[in-house]
Amino acid sequence: MKGQELVLALFLVCAVAISLISYMIYRSTKHAAEEGEGIKNPLQKRFYFLLLWGGVLIILMSVTIPKSPYFMYKDSNPEKVVKVEAMQYAFIMSDETDNASIEVPAGKMVEFRVTSMDVTHGFAIYNPKHELVTQTQAMPGYVNRLRWVFDEPGKYDILCTEFCGIGHATQTGSMRGEFIVK
Amino acid sequence: MNLSLKRITSTWIITILLLFFTAIILGITMRFNQGKVISIDDGRFYGIMTTHGLTMVAIWAVAGMVGVHYLLNRYLKIGAGLSVFAFVMTVIGVVMFYISTFLGNFHAGWTFLYPLPFLNSFAWASWATPLFFWSLAVLGVGWLVWSVGLLVAIFKEYSLSETFAWQHLSKKEPKVQTPPLVLISAISLVGVVLCLLTAVVILILSFAELYSDGKFVNDPLLMKNLIYFFGHTIANESLYLGLAIVYELLPEISGRPKYKTTWYVSLGWNFTLLFVLTAYFHHLYMDFVQPLGLQMFGQFASYFASIPSAVVTIISIIVLLYGHRIKWSITNLLFFIGITGWIIGGIGALIDSTISNNIFLHNTLWVPAHFHTYNALGNVLLILGFFTWAANEFSGSNTDPMRKLKLALIIIGGFGFVLMFYCGGAESIPRRYSVYPAEFTRGAMFAAAAAWFAIAYLLGMLLIFVDIFKKCTKVFSSSH
Repeated sequence: MKGQELVLALFLVCAVAISLISYMIYRSTKHAAEEGEGIKNPLQKRFYFLLLWGGVLIILMSVTIPKSPYFMYKDSNPEKVVKVEAMQYAFIMSDETDNASIEVPAGKMVEFRVTSMDVTHGFAIYNPKHELVTQTQAMPGYVNRLRWVFDEPGKYDILCTEFCGIGHATQTGSMRGEFIVK
Repeated sequence: MNLSLKRITSTWIITILLLFFTAIILGITMRFNQGKVISIDDGRFYGIMTTHGLTMVAIWAVAGMVGVHYLLNRYLKIGAGLSVFAFVMTVIGVVMFYISTFLGNFHAGWTFLYPLPFLNSFAWASWATPLFFWSLAVLGVGWLVWSVGLLVAIFKEYSLSETFAWQHLSKKEPKVQTPPLVLISAISLVGVVLCLLTAVVILILSFAELYSDGKFVNDPLLMKNLIYFFGHTIANESLYLGLAIVYELLPEISGRPKYKTTWYVSLGWNFTLLFVLTAYFHHLYMDFVQPLGLQMFGQFASYFASIPSAVVTIISIIVLLYGHRIKWSITNLLFFIGITGWIIGGIGALIDSTISNNIFLHNTLWVPAHFHTYNALGNVLLILGFFTWAANEFSGSNTDPMRKLKLALIIIGGFGFVLMFYCGGAESIPRRYSVYPAEFTRGAMFAAAAAWFAIAYLLGMLLIFVDIFKKCTKVFSSSH
């Protein structure tokens, strides 16, 4: 299951559970006696709930932080470097070759050095199945280094994910960025 | 409560709801365009997007202020003057803003991310950018004076430590009890003041660039930090102002004992201030040049912001309601559904604030999905609960026609609407696209369906408005 499907499933399960709990609370107020007892030992229950939620958050933090992009491939050298200059409304990509298209090796780490020549843009890489795999921002005056390993060969598209003006959606048109993973 | 306060509160309520309906119609127009049901040009689309976004953020921030201003008068004295001043400034600011977007075609988005407003002069009228910034200045001055005025009024009645309920941390039954409304309002207002002061800095820097003929240029990363601190904080403080109202009114209208501030409520809300001011870093996760420590703290603060405000509030509400006979009305039902919507939206936000998820969710439709959930189905309902309560209070009437129909339209319409965003986010569809590229085959279908759901939501809101309008307007012919 890809990440997007996983988070949607997780969200829907949580949303349904929260809705059911809310409905149970609502129902309990319909059938309660005039002087209902309510929840016994609320302080104790509050403490356990806090402990449980705090524990869940700490576990989630410790599992997910190492997977953040700042640490991935931090200590390895890139097999290939691609320079990216974003502008209204195009991505100009270059490497050390004279090839007309950018090619990157499958299974090897690639570094994109991303900047912008005008406003802030998003540099989002979509795989051949049109799923967003990774991204960074293209900001004028700064270079963001995005490192990634592409396992799946094929044509990857670059779409803009930061609103950059009237042609924001057309940045995905004839001037869209793309590269080939071989 | 004095008549002039009732009148200005009624005026605010009607104005906010009329602007709300305008903004919803703009939102529906956008989703129909993305759904290929209608076709508008890109410049107009992004103008509508900018107007929709800023209108929504502005009206729900001031709606919370309207509510706490009115209710704080139960514990201290605040005249109507501040509210009248803010209203006049808001009307002037909104008119200026609408001229900049509708006539000047300014469309840099409500977050006006630097340097877009300065580098797109060919896309909109040259006067539209300064007019947009001046409209923000007018709105900012009006709200800053109002929020500082409310804080000053609180500090006249309560000392600093009493305002923030610090005496509850050391004593079980302190001599001075801080009502939760005062504590949560003060915490939220401090956040509002800080983000408005940040807006002043943004405006000064923007005007410096605007009027220096290119001699002064801003730093994009600094501006982005400032803009998101402002935007994130004002959106979250709006929610907390809504919660302050719930703490005050929910027990009362449900026939249950009033909430009291305890040590954990005090501790929780004091920590909320710290977390809400630092969680904004999650908006910059994809800027790898941002210092690493701030990125880490962004996830920590986003996660742990849920403990003080959400967990303390959830348990407090469960303890208040569960197993007790409650007389339900439209008001406490709106509060209850609003809390549920807020929590569900919070789960969506928590998922997005996890850095390893943000890398594939950032600026996809997942983002409008979660913020529409905790706004349209959270904060809006909390504030609407206050509006229905105030309308009853002003008119002396408790009529509640078509309650089930109103709530069914809001729940089905609202959740259907946001579900389409979540599905779009899970399919990696980018946000803020006037039309979707062909490869996102279901993007148009999600958008069109969302627009129809939003129409159902709007109908529910209009039914509630009819009742509120009839009741609120009575205050203008009343002599008490």
